[in-house]
Amino acid sequence: MEQHSAVVLDGSEAGDVGAAQVRRVLEDELRNQGWRVDVYAPRELEIAPCVGCFNCWVKTPGRCENEDDSQAIAAAMISSELTVFLTPVTFGGYSSLLKRALDRVICLVSPFFTRIHGEVHHQRRYPSSPYLLGVGVADEVDSSAAGIFSTLLERNAINLHAPGHAAAVVRRATAADAMRVALQHLLTASGVPS
Amino acid sequence: MNAERHAFLLVGSPRRGKSTSAALGRYLGDRLAEQGWWTGRAFLYGLIGNAERERDLLGTLREVDLVVLAAPLYVDSLPAVVTRFLELWARDIADCTDPPRSSLTAILNCGFPEAEHNHVALAICRRFAHETGLGWCRGLALGGGEAFGGRELDQVGGMARHARRALELAAAALAAGEHIPDAAVELMARPIVPRRIYQWIGNRSWRVKARRAGTLAELRARPYEANS
Ligand SMILES: Cc1cc2nc3c(=O)[nH]c(=O)nc-3n(C[C@H](O)[C@H](O)[C@H](O)COP(=O)(O)O)c2cc1C
Repeated sequence: MEQHSAVVLDGSEAGDVGAAQVRRVLEDELRNQGWRVDVYAPRELEIAPCVGCFNCWVKTPGRCENEDDSQAIAAAMISSELTVFLTPVTFGGYSSLLKRALDRVICLVSPFFTRIHGEVHHQRRYPSSPYLLGVGVADEVDSSAAGIFSTLLERNAINLHAPGHAAAVVRRATAADAMRVALQHLLTASGVPS
Repeated sequence: MNAERHAFLLVGSPRRGKSTSAALGRYLGDRLAEQGWWTGRAFLYGLIGNAERERDLLGTLREVDLVVLAAPLYVDSLPAVVTRFLELWARDIADCTDPPRSSLTAILNCGFPEAEHNHVALAICRRFAHETGLGWCRGLALGGGEAFGGRELDQVGGMARHARRALELAAAALAAGEHIPDAAVELMARPIVPRRIYQWIGNRSWRVKARRAGTLAELRARPYEANS
């Protein structure tokens, strides 16, 4: 039977022991549930910042012309059934490392506009998109930062046409068992078929 | 430094001087200069990643009264380079023995016609100020910023009238040491043109650009589809 494919984008810096622990538990849990997991850590990759040219919509439609590791991430994300953004919570948002990868994947949607819930967004480019999971890592969970984090993931889910999504912030010091339970809940909340 | 007050504009768009972010920031900076403020400016793209220039910038920011961050919305939040700058600035503030003296405001613009798309990014700026101890003077959000095409606001005509008025109100409040008033926030958020027209013009402009690039037939290409 073909395995479901999950992509984890790990936006943590080298030496972030807490984030590494969350990633281990997450990978382990996903594999236990039968997923094939591919991890991309921007800190180990070559990803230039987006230059805002929109050539990925106009000149080379669907693909950024600036060749580096971002093309592999875009390809993996859109072929996956689940994409996980794992990141230190950074002023409520994503780390610059994760953001560097995400700014480069707007090629996955179409430039054309549509309306979703009355707001203007881009049309989808591909017939299906992955479910989105946001896993924020923090020393302490602050409700205001966690609120920004889940709203951001929700907004991304609309723009990327994710069929379902969920986000949570976990403490770096959380014991592995409790972390596993939290991640199981998150997967269930996203609605992704297991 | 003398008693003159200092504002520093940080432009967070890769289009640098040709961006809508820069145009909005410049208009605000000019209004502050008219009120006797000294204003400086830096483009974060090209600067972040260069250790020496990062150090110089962070040194400058320790001395100014007001930092104006003008940036586009990228994927519902601040662009990666702007986020990287905030990470570095937060570290610098934490390393400094004195509490930060400056306040922060942000002027964000996005491509979709509704200004509300910028709200999460503004919340991130406010959260940054809260975590670092900077004063937060509130921010302004503009929808449909792509329509300005980076032109000076004076050259955009009626389409930019609400934005100009919003920035004038904001400058007057900031110069008086006050937060940006609701009236400025509301004016900046007013649609540039009716949403339906913006959507129609936007869709048409992608086709025009694609025709010029000879890619009209491929605009909906799916290069990452299995077997493509
Ligand atoms: C990588 C990338 C991501 C973007 N994401 C969004 C978005 O999530 N929502 C939106 O309304 N506009 C988005 N935009 C559009 C820009 O915010 C818009 O073009 C803006 O006017 C650019 O301003 P500037 O000239 O100051 O760079 C995005 C543009 C780029 C290049």
